Amino acid sequence: MAEIKAFEFKQCVNILKSTGRKAGNLHDLRDAISKISDKSIIHHTYHYFLKVHVFEYTNDFAHWTGESLEERALSEHLSNIDPYGFENVKDLRNELLNVIDNYLKQFPEPRAAMHDDEFYFNETITLIFHANVRAGNLAEFLLGIRHVDPASIYYHFYEARARLKNRADDFSTWIEDSLKKDGLAERIRAIDPFMHNIEGIRGHIVMAVEEEVKNDMELIR
Amino acid sequence: MIEQYSGISPKGDLILLQKLGERLKDKTFLHINSTREGGGVAEILQRMLPLIKELGVNVRWEIIEGDKRFFDITKRIHNALQGSPEKISDDMWDYHLEVNRKNSQKLNFEADAVFIHDPQPAPLINFKKGGKWLWRCHIDLSNPIKDVCGYLMQYCEKFDSAIFSVARFTRAMPVDEFIIPPSIDPMSEKNKTLPDDEVRKIMERLKIPLDRPVILQISRFDRFKDPIGVVNAYRMVKKYNDCVLVLAGSPASDDPEGEAVLNEVREYAKEDPDIYIDAAAIQR
Repeated sequence: MAEIKAFEFKQCVNILKSTGRKAGNLHDLRDAISKISDKSIIHHTYHYFLKVHVFEYTNDFAHWTGESLEERALSEHLSNIDPYGFENVKDLRNELLNVIDNYLKQFPEPRAAMHDDEFYFNETITLIFHANVRAGNLAEFLLGIRHVDPASIYYHFYEARARLKNRADDFSTWIEDSLKKDGLAERIRAIDPFMHNIEGIRGHIVMAVEEEVKNDMELIR
Repeated sequence: MIEQYSGISPKGDLILLQKLGERLKDKTFLHINSTREGGGVAEILQRMLPLIKELGVNVRWEIIEGDKRFFDITKRIHNALQGSPEKISDDMWDYHLEVNRKNSQKLNFEADAVFIHDPQPAPLINFKKGGKWLWRCHIDLSNPIKDVCGYLMQYCEKFDSAIFSVARFTRAMPVDEFIIPPSIDPMSEKNKTLPDDEVRKIMERLKIPLDRPVILQISRFDRFKDPIGVVNAYRMVKKYNDCVLVLAGSPASDDPEGEAVLNEVREYAKEDPDIYIDAAAIQR
């Protein structure tokens, strides 16, 4: 029997950098999105899930237009953008601009944000490191996933979608490739990344893996 | 010390600190500010330096020295940066630079990374010899008096990078700007949970009654901490809820206004026997 490749839990820390650029209204926001660095677009979209996010929104642009500009319809359209559905940042940026342009055609004079509530364009430097937790089988994986920091769940569940060619998460990829448990992998892939916060994601994975471990134990018995 | 944070800080943060310590163990860091006692910066450095040393990094802490005139000027600069209308004359800016020049002759800048905290020692950048220099701004720069901020930025823009507490305080600067939020150290003396018995003894010693709820402000006596506003808030609460107010603070040697603000608060509160003001409570 081939040896199972262990799952090495990693995690990331984002160090925030300012671009020095801000937007006080939708026209400013559109202008900045068209010019700002790829790193800043990545920070305000993909990294949104690492923060304590509001479920209504899926990125910082949607959050700000909804909460600070109170342009709810626009924020809904921006939230419908799945950042993992794009091949590159250029396409993601273009889609953000398309959505804003379409909105501005209908509502060319949107309200401005209050003073001190402007949108600040930031970037991040991401440090990735081993969380010092390794799982050689599903039971160890269960213990590991319960134990690791939220930043580890983020790295393997969200960040992986932008990193892996199959656009899936690291957990289901390992479960499928190394443990050959296609059903469990499928179940984890079916967890909606936009409908839960990180602890919710952890809870769903724990539930699915726990059931699988129990079933395996019953088979042994 | 680091192990004290196990169960409090995220596990990954502690792992990362250790890994960074391993990478930086041959490097030397130097922090420079303007006081060892009182105020947030001294409080951060008192706790942070032993932690960094424990990680194996060679770190030192130096302070700049100045006379009353220097600290009167830097307090005005500080107030202006936080939006209070202040005029800083050319003479004052010259003296700010001159005191820093004198300090630069005494200080040993030998380090791979030099962290300069706040505006008081910012002109030291003019006397940089080597290494990377970072300006750590602990001040709210969201709405400063423009000409004062503009003048100071002449120094700040010479640094290799700047660090601000939140995005709102950042400026359009030609250097890397990092955003590191302020944090509370749960293991510091000020933030530790005290046993009930100790609380009772302290309250008895300070003659503060324990029979009613206590409203407490702990801070330097600084107009930006708005102690008068706290007294007003207490008076609103007191109308319908009998309580006592405690204003406890510690003096900072680089804050010449502390005593004046303390006297203003004492004067404002003197009619009320349920207001307890202690300017050195934290030190005892």
